[in-house]
Formats: sequence, C-alpha cells, structure tokens
Amino acid sequence: MRRPIIALACTIMLAGCPRQALFVVLPSEGGGVGAITVDDGKTVTTLDQPFAAAESRAGGSGPVEESRGTIGVIFQEAFAARPILPEHFRLYFILGSDELTPESAMAYRSVFDDVKRRPVYQIEVIGHTDTLGDLRFNQTLSLARAAAIRDRLVRDGVEPDAISIAGRGKLDPIVPTGDGVAEPRNRCVVITVR
Amino acid sequence: MGLALWLAAGLLIATAGFPRAAEAPPIAQVKKVTGPAAVVRSGERRPANVGDMLFVKDVIETGPDGAIGITFIDNTVFSAGPNSQLALDEFQFDSNNFRGSMLADMRQGTLAVVSGDITRSSPGAMKVKTPTAVLGVRGTTFAVQVYADH
Repeated sequence: MRRPIIALACTIMLAGCPRQALFVVLPSEGGGVGAITVDDGKTVTTLDQPFAAAESRAGGSGPVEESRGTIGVIFQEAFAARPILPEHFRLYFILGSDELTPESAMAYRSVFDDVKRRPVYQIEVIGHTDTLGDLRFNQTLSLARAAAIRDRLVRDGVEPDAISIAGRGKLDPIVPTGDGVAEPRNRCVVITVR
Repeated sequence: MGLALWLAAGLLIATAGFPRAAEAPPIAQVKKVTGPAAVVRSGERRPANVGDMLFVKDVIETGPDGAIGITFIDNTVFSAGPNSQLALDEFQFDSNNFRGSMLADMRQGTLAVVSGDITRSSPGAMKVKTPTAVLGVRGTTFAVQVYADH
C-alpha cells in the first residue's frame, strides 16, 4: 500500500526519490563547444557547459548541481581507464613526389614517438595531392605518399597489420582550391594514430 | 554480477576460439583493462584483453574493481568503471565522409566518453541509451552514471 504514495511523492518532488542516473558534460581537451541532450520521453534537458549535469529520478529528469569533486569521485575509475586519445598528424611532401619535405622528415619522429607510447595502436594514413596534373596521376601519387609513410613506419618496427592506407588523389584537398592550382599544403598525408 | 560468474568467465579462457560476428568489420579496439572485464558476444562471455577487436552487438561488462577503455574506428573513446554493462547496439561509420551513426546502451555503471568523428556527420548521429533517458551527443566530452537499482 505504501508504493503508490511514494510514487506520487516522487512525481511531486523529484528530489525525494533515489537517483537512477547522472549525466555530466565535461571540459573538452580541444576546447570545442559541444552538448548533450537528455531525453526521458517527457522532457529534454540540454547540457552545454562544462560540469553541467542532469539526473533521472523516478518522477522524471532535470538539471542538477553536482560539484567537480563529487563528479571526480563518481567517475574516478572510468576516467582512469580512458585510453590515450587519438592523435592526428600531417606530413608534407615535395611537389610531384612521395618524398617528405625537410621539415616533415623531422616531424615524422613525433608520429613514430606517438605510436610507441601506445600499448596497442591502429594507424590510418590518407594521402592527398594538390590539383596540378590529372586525376589518375594524382590518385597514384596520393597512394604512393601514404605507402611511403607506411613503409617507413614498418621499417621502424611498427606492426604492418595495424596500418591502413588510402589515397584520395586531388578530389579531397585539405585546402580547397580550383583545378590546376599549386598548393603545398595539399601535398600531404593525414595520419591518425589511435 | 557475482564473483562466481567472474570465476566462470575465467574458466572459459581455456576453451576454443571466440565467435566472431560474421563478416562484420571491427568497430573498436580494447586499449586498457583493469581488473575483471569481459566481452559478451553471441551469448558467450570472455575476458577482455588489451588489443581485442570489438564488433557491433558486443556487450562489455566490468566486475567489481574492473575498468575498461576502448577506442572506436571513428575515434570515439569510451571508458567504463566497475560494475558496468554496456552494449554496442549499433555502429556504422564511413571514414571517407565521416557519415555514420552509433547507439550504445549503458545499462549499469559509469561511462566516460570523448566523442569522435561520427558526431561531425549530423546532430543526433550518436546516441547513448540508459534505462531512464536517451542522450543525444553533439561533439563533446561527457560522463554517464546508471545506478544498479533502477
């Protein structure tokens, strides 16, 4: 006989019922502005500030204040289990070649170092070109650039099976340009290490 | 999640190969494991190991003192604390155009998320379901706690 009374009390006063779930937005490393929406079927709560929180109780859901300290305690183990976040790198090439520019030849080291700090890893290498030359030439060149980086990584001891490569030719430039435009920033590979 | 169940999971290690989701490509990789953590695939529970590939419909479970960190192919990062149950219900991602969608079912425990490329494709492309509410994710870092007795 007590249950309906408790349920009624819950709908009247949300805070009187035990918490069922907690939702918290956290500061993003990149500093970007994001948001989560919490939809319980009746109300939608939008959380778009760091440490903004919402909770569910039997009567419904809504915003709640939760201290950073409490959030840190509740999610301590989950935060500690967070993997090293994925990293992106760009390396640049000499015009019409799969040879790195001198600066990028130096920067290669940071890619290799990033791979080495991960217990397990997956690597994607995507080749690009500028828009000088025809489609076919640039498709081949972009893939050759990606392959050159893969080969270098493998020579340095990186697992070949963990590397995937692709060439986007001149169709997906980093810096959009018209056709036939020399653009050093588009002679590159984008490397994702995760 | 009783201790006996975790011991049973441990005993299963010795048996033959883990069933693979037929033809489906992996969607994530286990990056970090602390204490007891398991993957349930096609009804079979196996201990999770660093480097394991994960597939759509896998269910991740952690025991008392267990924790696990995984990274998806769209660079979304999940990490779950002790006594968690998390089902990877839906996941599609095309790395050519960043289009895709994702639905994770957080049944119990704690989960911290750093969103990845899927949230770039469209608002609402990434959802996390809980017993009481559905989260829509627009490119951010967040955490969810679902209490065991709801």
